[in-house]
Amino acid sequence: MAQLTKSIKTPFDNAVVRRRQMRKLWLAFLLFPAMAILLTFVFLPMASAIWYSVYEWDGLVRGEFIGLGNFQEVLFDPRNNKFLINAFFNNVKVFIALMVFQNGLALILALFLAREPKGYRFYQIAFFLPVILSTVIIGFQWKLFLNPIFGLVNTLLRNVGLGDWAVPWLGLPETALGAMILVNAWHWVGFPTLVFLAAIHRIPKDLIEAARLDGASEWMIARDIIWPLMAPAVTIIVVLTFIGSFNWFEIPYIMGGLEGSPSYSTDMLGLLFYRTAFGSVSAGNSDFGTGSALAVLIFIFIFTFSTIATRYLTSREVELS
Amino acid sequence: MANVIKKPGDLGSWLMHIFLGANAVIMLYPILMMALSSFKTNKEIFTSPFSLPRSFSLDNFAVIWSQTNVPRYFINSTIVTGLSVLVLLVVGTMAAYALSRYKFKGNIMISLFFLSGLMLPLRLAIIPLFIQLKALGLVDNLLGLICIYTAMSLPATVFIMTGFLRSLPSELEDSARMDGASEFRIMVEIMVPLITPAMVIAGIYNAVPIWNDFFFPLIFIQSPEWKTLAQGLTAFFGEYSVNYGVLYAGLTLAALPIMLVFIVQSRRFIAGMTAGAIK
Amino acid sequence: MATIELRDVTKDFGGVQVIHGANLSVQDNEFVVFVGPSGCGKSTLLRLLSGLEELSSGEIYIDGERIDHLPPARRGLAMVFQSYALYPHMNVLQNMSYALKVAKKSKQEIEEKVHAAAEILQLTELLDRKPKALSGGQRQRVAIGRAIVRDPSVFLFDEPLSNLDAKLRVQMRLELTNLHKQLQSTMIYVTHDQVEAMTMADKIVVMRAGNIEQVGPPLELFNKPANKFVAGFIGSPAMNFFHGQVVGVNNATYEVKLENGAQFTFTAQNSNLAEGDEVDLGVRPEDLQPGTGGHGTMAGTATAVERLGAQTYVYLRSPIEESMIIHHAGDLDVQSGEQIDVSFDLKSCHLFGPDEQRIEFEG
Repeated sequence: MAQLTKSIKTPFDNAVVRRRQMRKLWLAFLLFPAMAILLTFVFLPMASAIWYSVYEWDGLVRGEFIGLGNFQEVLFDPRNNKFLINAFFNNVKVFIALMVFQNGLALILALFLAREPKGYRFYQIAFFLPVILSTVIIGFQWKLFLNPIFGLVNTLLRNVGLGDWAVPWLGLPETALGAMILVNAWHWVGFPTLVFLAAIHRIPKDLIEAARLDGASEWMIARDIIWPLMAPAVTIIVVLTFIGSFNWFEIPYIMGGLEGSPSYSTDMLGLLFYRTAFGSVSAGNSDFGTGSALAVLIFIFIFTFSTIATRYLTSREVELS
Repeated sequence: MANVIKKPGDLGSWLMHIFLGANAVIMLYPILMMALSSFKTNKEIFTSPFSLPRSFSLDNFAVIWSQTNVPRYFINSTIVTGLSVLVLLVVGTMAAYALSRYKFKGNIMISLFFLSGLMLPLRLAIIPLFIQLKALGLVDNLLGLICIYTAMSLPATVFIMTGFLRSLPSELEDSARMDGASEFRIMVEIMVPLITPAMVIAGIYNAVPIWNDFFFPLIFIQSPEWKTLAQGLTAFFGEYSVNYGVLYAGLTLAALPIMLVFIVQSRRFIAGMTAGAIK
Repeated sequence: MATIELRDVTKDFGGVQVIHGANLSVQDNEFVVFVGPSGCGKSTLLRLLSGLEELSSGEIYIDGERIDHLPPARRGLAMVFQSYALYPHMNVLQNMSYALKVAKKSKQEIEEKVHAAAEILQLTELLDRKPKALSGGQRQRVAIGRAIVRDPSVFLFDEPLSNLDAKLRVQMRLELTNLHKQLQSTMIYVTHDQVEAMTMADKIVVMRAGNIEQVGPPLELFNKPANKFVAGFIGSPAMNFFHGQVVGVNNATYEVKLENGAQFTFTAQNSNLAEGDEVDLGVRPEDLQPGTGGHGTMAGTATAVERLGAQTYVYLRSPIEESMIIHHAGDLDVQSGEQIDVSFDLKSCHLFGPDEQRIEFEG
């Protein structure tokens, strides 16, 4: 009925129509720049990566369509896949180690900080300070500290009578990755700490007081009240750590070099991808085809696992809240 | 902030203080050592690494100022970060404003479009991005970096700003409409001034990673005159690999500005940098 | 100085109609109150009038000129919002002058108008304060001041007092009534509070579910509610209803038997009631008398008694589980659980037919 009356155009309707058009223009003006930038510099390249991965490449020139040939080369060519497998398991090690050391420490720090001890503000700032610094600065700084002869770490060890421990940390395959993981944990631990802390602060005070009146010990409060109720923060940190671990690039690049030295013990998927795409001593010339295929595989892996993890962890949130 | 947990001082709380204190030392001592070493000569670094510098001589800094490209890198980083964040906040706030303040067909679709941008790791699309920027003549060009950083940070910015803009009461908008203000005026004079704290948070959230980024310049910038600070440090490290005092001075200089801002604005920094992870 | 006319105004949101063809005329200088339960469409109707929402169909005229195609600011209206909607980052002066600034008025004119309005509302001392530093009542006054400076032909108020505490609400009610006298302009006021409606309005518009149920002066609505809904909505405590059936018709004389057993006859000239029709008898709590007599007597058990000295409220439950309330002026010695009789006089009762519309009758 309303439509019928609307179909007869009067000057009044025209004014309304004009206003609606102005509104549409206004909305377009607001949305267009952001959408255009995002399409051009994020969505288009992401889509192209898939598109490029099914072509042969010669430098910057696209060759012929070769289907899954690049994927096959990455996954099954024995010259490549030994690197892939090695790098992948290094990334897995990084993820597990960061979960345990970095996030575990962060949880303890957050639980302590939640009591708002003396120096609460100071601790927050101190723990967060490295987070704001560039990985490049952190990487070089620790590379200097870990210098086998002149570095502060070994000098310190020798000074306190642990000279036997003063090994070339970054030069031994057994210790290099561990050292880098600790550096990363030092760099980032403040981040999960403060995310956890914010989550704990969000728990209603009454709940904790009620538990205390019920006679629960501090440990029981942490385990039975705080831990379940901070589940959303845990989900986010686990997923961010996962994505970060499998995109890990800067620290190994700066501290171990592009080839994951010593002897590929610190090689990562990110480094392998860089070498494949842009060329290196071990990977030979730049190859955009296999590089793109590798990128697509890494993306699918990260996307799948972070989606599954989010689902699983989120379901845990619902059950417990 | 609320005092969530309180407990009388006992053995446990002593352990807690020791644990927190030790951790603070571990976090701060390396940074302090880096700063102190920057005043030392090479010889001093080797012979007395832990002591205070014999004199707070600025020789190492003078070398950096006069003989390296670090000042130039510094300027480049400032330009890239400044412009990226500026464009980002303007464009991101505009889009967030449309999505949060108007009901229209396609609102949900466009929101999802921005949201999906959050999940795309742009690093993995570096090859097509490289070819694309090459075609646009934006390789080895600060503008190329600005485009990438703006695009990369837009989804999170739109996400953060939408959250804040939604929280503003719609009666304010209605009231301004009754007062005769145009939609543009309502946005600029009424709504945006009310979310400046949110813009600061979103600004920090984006500025810190952009300032610190090393990956994109590594691939897109070759000429020394366009290198950013984080990237330039790698070149600088190659050049001065044996002059430890100068290296420490370079690191200190690179870390100093952001650290100073952080110490003054720590609350906002922490709120800003954890903004994406705290619902 | 304005008359308003709404003709067949409808509004739908996403295919759901929320205003079903409203017709209304408002006289110049009238204080009109839209009242109804939440969700009845009263605020929507106000927003349609203001231009903040677009009509789906229909026409709106102010002073005989059609305005429904105009943007809000060009309709000559000003609105005071429930949350006051003061711009938090501007001080009182800036808040009050914003509309004039947008309209590009001269500095001098702005100053004059703002100071004149501030004078009326006793805001002169507060002009450089930010809204945060004002009390609830002061904010309310600034919101009104912001409307006054625009010199509107019509003032719109959207539940402006609901955020104030009870005491301040009474005071602001009086101030608004005085302001209306002082400004001599048309005012439309939306509220869900029937006390505000009864005390302030020249004319009340009762709405329910997107329909205008009745329009009239407060006491007319109280004394002659057009239907069962208005009868139940206006008046506090609400009117008691007793369900019954027409059991006998003789010319214009009808006999009704209520479900609780009471029986009475009445004459109604213009009624087309038939035997077997369901009717409701409405009796206001103050018209129910304790004891037997009148035109009918009913029994009930007191479930709660509120003795306030000057007045007494008795909550009763009849044997057939009807609940009713008696409002007795003066003290009444009834205990909870006690069984008492109540009676009614048809002269002070209301009768509603099967369509819930009022039936004029004589007892």
